[in-house]
Formats: sequence, structure tokens, C-alpha cells
Amino acid sequence: MGTVGGVLRRFIGAAGLLLATAVAPAVADETCMSPFMPKITGQEDYVYVWTLGVEGMGDGSDKLVTVDVRPGSATYGKVIASAPVGSRNEAHHGGFTDDRRYFWTSGLDTSRIFVFDIHTDPARPKLERTIEDFVQASGGVVGPHGAYALPGRMLMSGLSNAKDGGGRTALVEYTNDGRFLAAHWMPTAEDPRGAEVESVADGYGYDQRVLPRRNALLTSSFTGKSNYMMDFGEMLKDPEAMKRFGQTVVLWDFHERKPRKVFHVPGAPLEIRWAWGPTHDYAFTTTALTSKIWLIHLDADGEWKAKAVADIGNPSDIPLPVDISLSADDKTLFVDTFMDGKVRVFDVSDPHAPKQIYEETIGRQVNMVSQSWDGRRVYFTTSLLANWDKKGADNDQFIKGYDWDGKRLHHRFTIDFNAEKLGRPHIMRLGAASLYAN
Amino acid sequence: MRAPVLPLGLALFLFAASASADPGHHPGGFDYDPPKPGTYRLPPLAPAADGTALDETGAVRGLHDLMAGKVMVLSFIYTRCGDVCPLGTAMMRDLHEATAADSALSAGVRLVTMSFDPDHDTPEVMAAEARALRVPRGADWRFLTARDKGELEKILAAYDQRVLRKADPDDPNGPLAHQLRVYLIDGERRVRNIYSLDFLDPRLVLADVRTLMLEEAARH
Repeated sequence: MGTVGGVLRRFIGAAGLLLATAVAPAVADETCMSPFMPKITGQEDYVYVWTLGVEGMGDGSDKLVTVDVRPGSATYGKVIASAPVGSRNEAHHGGFTDDRRYFWTSGLDTSRIFVFDIHTDPARPKLERTIEDFVQASGGVVGPHGAYALPGRMLMSGLSNAKDGGGRTALVEYTNDGRFLAAHWMPTAEDPRGAEVESVADGYGYDQRVLPRRNALLTSSFTGKSNYMMDFGEMLKDPEAMKRFGQTVVLWDFHERKPRKVFHVPGAPLEIRWAWGPTHDYAFTTTALTSKIWLIHLDADGEWKAKAVADIGNPSDIPLPVDISLSADDKTLFVDTFMDGKVRVFDVSDPHAPKQIYEETIGRQVNMVSQSWDGRRVYFTTSLLANWDKKGADNDQFIKGYDWDGKRLHHRFTIDFNAEKLGRPHIMRLGAASLYAN
Repeated sequence: MRAPVLPLGLALFLFAASASADPGHHPGGFDYDPPKPGTYRLPPLAPAADGTALDETGAVRGLHDLMAGKVMVLSFIYTRCGDVCPLGTAMMRDLHEATAADSALSAGVRLVTMSFDPDHDTPEVMAAEARALRVPRGADWRFLTARDKGELEKILAAYDQRVLRKADPDDPNGPLAHQLRVYLIDGERRVRNIYSLDFLDPRLVLADVRTLMLEEAARH
């Protein structure tokens, strides 16, 4: 390999940030998405909210809701569009394609994938196509979850399987135009697929994130359909059901799609966030049932390790950490806890020793958190799963927008999704019209 | 008309930057063992679209004709780009050096750099680009530009290569905004991988090229 290659290898990771300016004169982004997409580095225009339909509420359908967050707009902090899909599917996660022109969302119950056109009119996304072949094409994967952009394709995590509705599952790959490519099954004790197993290999899945310069893919683990479609209170009282939660994080050789190491991370590790810094070789995850922040990191000997680095609240209270958001400068980690409706903010400048610096009650329940790429704005939604959300008066359903000054949150707007008859707001993604202007 | 000094200038800047860097430290660089060719799958993503372009001599060339019987690495750039194109071109130059040094590769690999800026990147400009970048030993690296706007639009659409005009046409980094995409195409004219900036590790692209060549050899 010639000299230029050496130069390129050294330079290119830092130059990855150039991609932000290479695509469009935009703008801002939540920090939870694939590094392969254009970033919005300034003010976002819209928050897209993938929303669960509620029977008897409005049209009852899952829908993609557009919230206007343009400063000075006459409709700032209001819903300006809604794209229903005509059915309830247990709407959950989603993500943009690498060109950010399409937004893939998924339904955990029906295993449908919905692809929305975001670029033709960014204020009013349109349902472009529905992918119905997820279970059949993948050989039995159920519950498409996170949609993660790769160049020209999407990597979908699954949560379950058609055989027993448990947590054993796979990563499923599609082309950007919706053609099935491959299923990569999670390593299990019976079939570790060449991976080194630290303690257990349960085959569960939840989130997936890639660190290209280390050729490293991480996957986390949650639970299967038999649990996520169950009533939350009944499940908590069912000791057998409570055994069926994932306790692993898997490190993969990304390019070869081969599992390399299965870490023991008990308590359902959910969202994974790689640090962004060009020399930061670590990722965070949090465990829903044990309420801890875990660090997956490359140690001084060049070995990948996983360790618990902090408690979130009092773990014995089971505050149930759900979504997390890591700031673009890798210094601040937002952690939402569903049961107490709080966000806790940790200083993670030393990733081995996070320190809580702030907490605020957002509502009676809270689930997703997304911050802008510039770290100045933070958004929250409420719904976890239709059967797991709180009941009665505690069933808050909203999106709230805040400014973050580095020390505290300042409330900007609230949209009550119950009052608006929209349903249960779940994942958020940020959009900007300038990404598509010519 | 302006000669394509910017990409080369940036490439030289990168070269100079490396000379002063600590060789034991790789900030931001790719740092993993490259994959072993033939040990993994590259599922076909889509048929690689045809189209016509002008080569550096001004002759009309069909993309499908250029793909025949070769593993092709196809990169879309424009020479006025001060953002990511120089990085893409540096990677292509790296592949070019590697193929020139390996007779098996040079027999089976074709590199194609195609401009999406025909207003500026005439065949003459692409010829100058070729002269500046090609190594003397004869590995196959073609430099194309669009024959006309209509044909260009068809090719860009077929490859999902987004190109937008920037609001400021005098932007010092060039007038066009785009994603950097490089395509790996097999001898049966199928796209087998797509690389964005984060994947432009020449070791990885070469491993993929060799994987396709092993696959081809196994068929015969």
C-alpha cells in the first residue's frame, strides 16, 4: 500500500466531519444516529415523531407526526402535519437512510416496515412504501426495531422470532429501495458463530451502532414479543416472563458481519451510543432492569471490555432507564428513566467515572430523548410500549421541547398528544428543509 | 478553464501532514485488521446502471462496456471540490498504485473516476487530472465526464448519487454539495458494495475487490 493510503487512513476519520458540510448547507441533528448520514449542525426545522395509534382516539392509526420547531414560525411548537399508515403496528423505532431522503419506521407487533419520503416536502412526509416481507424474507425474524443507515442500505435490528416469540433474533439488512439482502443471527450458547463468550450468549437483540474506523458493530438486547406485547403489570408479577430479558452486548466484526465477543451486561442493555471523538474508542449503554450506565471500551492492551461505571438513580427503585443521548462533544449524557418520569444528565468527560450534574422531572412518564447536534435543544416523548405505558391519569402522552444552556433545561413547548387525539409519541428524528434545497 | 490543481494540492497537503505525524499514533485513522478476502459475503445490492459518458480523449464510452469482465471501482467526483472529493480521489490513487503493483489485480480491475460537473470538467480537464494522478505503470484508471446534462441526470439518479447546487456558487470549497459515494461493481454488472467517506479504507476496498475476483475465479 502506498504512502497516500497511510495518509488517508490517518486523516479520514477526522475528515468524517467534512461529510456534514459536503451534502448541503444545513444545519442540526440529534446525536443518536448513524455517522453515515448528513448532519444538521445548526437549527432543525422539524421534529418527526413516530406515534402509536390508540384505538378510539382520532383515526386510531400509527402515524408520522411533524412538529414545527422553526424559531419565529407562527406554528412553532405545533403539529403541522400527520401521515397515518392506516393500522396499528406497535410503532417503535426508525431511522433515516444514508441520503436522509427516506425515514424507515417499524412496527413491533405486525413486523411491518414503513418508508416515508422526507425530501419531497420535508414539512409533510408521505408514506412511500410498506415492506411486508420482514418475517418471511429473514427466515423468521420478528419485531423490526432500529433502522440504522449504512451506505445504500438499512440495517434493521429484530427483537424476536416466529418460532417461540422469545428474544432470540437477528440483524436484517435491506437495500435502500426495500429489497431484503441478508439476516445475521445473534450468537447463542448453542451456536456462538465463532464469538468469544464472556459468560452467556442469549441471542437477544435491540439496538445496533457502528464505529467504522474500528470496524466495530455493537448490538444490545431486550426481550421477545411474548413480553413486549404483554401487559406490563402482569409481566412484572410473572417470574418466568421476567427471566426472559437479554443480558448481553455483542461486539461484531462489522465488515464481515461476524460476532467477535459476547459481553455479559445483565438487565436488558438498550440504547447504544458510540462516542464521536476521533480518538474516543468507547460506547455507552444503560440497563433497564439494573439501572446502570455501562461502558464498552478498548483498554490499554487493545482488548474490548465492558464494565458498569455508574448507577442511575437508586437501582433498587427500578427507575427503568430507557433512552439516552450523548452530546456531540462526548461530554454530556442525557438519561431518561420511564418510571419516575425524569431526565438525569451526567458529565461523562471521564467515561470511566460519569457524574450526575442535573435532574429534572419531565412528566409522569418519559421515554425518548433527542438533542440537537449543537447541544442547545432537547426534546422528550413519553410512550414506551402500548401495554407498558402507565394507566389512567399517569398516562401522560406528549412531546416537550427545551433549551439546554449546559446547566439546566428551559421549557419551550408542550404538545399534549392525548388532547390532540394523536396517540402515543415515541421516537423522534430531526429534519431540515435546507438539506434538500437546490 | 482551470486546471485541477485543488485536488492534487490537497492530496499533497495530506501527504505533507502525514510526514510530520507520529507514525505510532493514528488519530482518526482506520485501525483494525483488514478483512481476509473471500471469508465473507458481499450480497448483490442492485444492477449497476448503464449510461454514456465522455472519456478523457473526448470519445463516447458506455458504462456497461467498461464493466465487462472486470471488477470496477466507480467514484463520482468533481475537480472543483474542496470537501471530500480529494479524499475519494486519494483512495482511488491508492487502489491504482496497489493494482499497478500486482499483475493479477491489474488484469482484473478497472478504476473509473467520473465527474458530475461537465460545465467545468471537460475531457481536457479530466485528462489533466489523469496525468497528475496516474502512476507510470499501466494499471487501468479511466477518467470520465458527462456527455450532456440529461445523460448525467439519468446516471446520477440510477446510482442514487445526490448532487445539489450550493446557495453560494462562490463557496471556496466548490459550488456543488454532494455525498461521497464509491461503488464496487462485479463482472456481471452488479453493485456489490457502496462506500461512503467513513468506509474509504483502501485496505477494505481492496479486500472486497479480491473477494469478487476469488468469486469470479471459483466460477471458472
